[in-house]
Amino acid sequence: MPVTRTLSILLVALGVATCAWAAPRGDEASARAAILERFAAAQRNDVAALDRMLADDLDYCTVRGVCQTKQEYLGRLKSGAMKYQSIDPVVDRAKLFADSAVISGRATVTATRDGVTQSIRFSFVGVLAWRDDRWVLTTWSATPLEGAS
Amino acid sequence: MPSFAKDPVSDPARTAALRSAELTRFQAQVDADAEVLGELLDDSLEYTHSNGELDTKKSFIESLTTGRRDYVATTPDILSIRINGDIGIIRGKAKVTVADNGQSRDLDLGYVDVWVWKDGRWRMTTWLSARYPGPAAQVPAPPSAPTVR
Repeated sequence: MPVTRTLSILLVALGVATCAWAAPRGDEASARAAILERFAAAQRNDVAALDRMLADDLDYCTVRGVCQTKQEYLGRLKSGAMKYQSIDPVVDRAKLFADSAVISGRATVTATRDGVTQSIRFSFVGVLAWRDDRWVLTTWSATPLEGAS
Repeated sequence: MPSFAKDPVSDPARTAALRSAELTRFQAQVDADAEVLGELLDDSLEYTHSNGELDTKKSFIESLTTGRRDYVATTPDILSIRINGDIGIIRGKAKVTVADNGQSRDLDLGYVDVWVWKDGRWRMTTWLSARYPGPAAQVPAPPSAPTVR
């Protein structure tokens, strides 16, 4: 029936328009996933994947309080000065804001730094920004968990 | 239009307000001023100390007002302020003299904290600090940095 068909077309068009207007933005689940995907890429020492996941203006602050740029962080992975052996992360909490998400959690990482292999357990905070329809990590900070094995 | 729609990067007043809020917060911690901290700390606060200990807003303020934790003096140095929509991210370092259960310690910290713009003012929602390795002399405070006592 023409009227029914017209209504169906209108409803479909309305649905498409509504989806387009409500521009998809990352939700809490996708933010948590983005952090875990970042850990997975680091464990693979996958510099190309990390390059996509890290914002160009990244502040990457290590458990020693030292902060690196994206280029410095990736440079150490590329050169082999830093090589992850294993990473066991847990995301504890996620806070969602207008264009950002703040993710906190804990991780145990075994890595070889400048030829020395060490394991460390730490708390972390990662700040994600929603840019170009995806989450990118803009800030990372971690602190060791004392008394942890 | 929501309050965060205006780009704060081009709003020096909001950046200045964040810097001021940060310094006021450091002073309020030294003063154990629960009223000021109550205004500056968001209810969602996660405060991760440099030993990995986690406080909420309530437990953090209580630790100061009961004297369980006593910030004797703090010399903060704000290294960068970045604003993304409704959040502000501060990276800095601080020389802190803290008394925990009667034991005084000098700490050199690197920190990242996240503030959220709500109802026309900034409130801190996340703090994480890490201790610089080595003696305090390795991280001198700049001459212009104010000491909060």
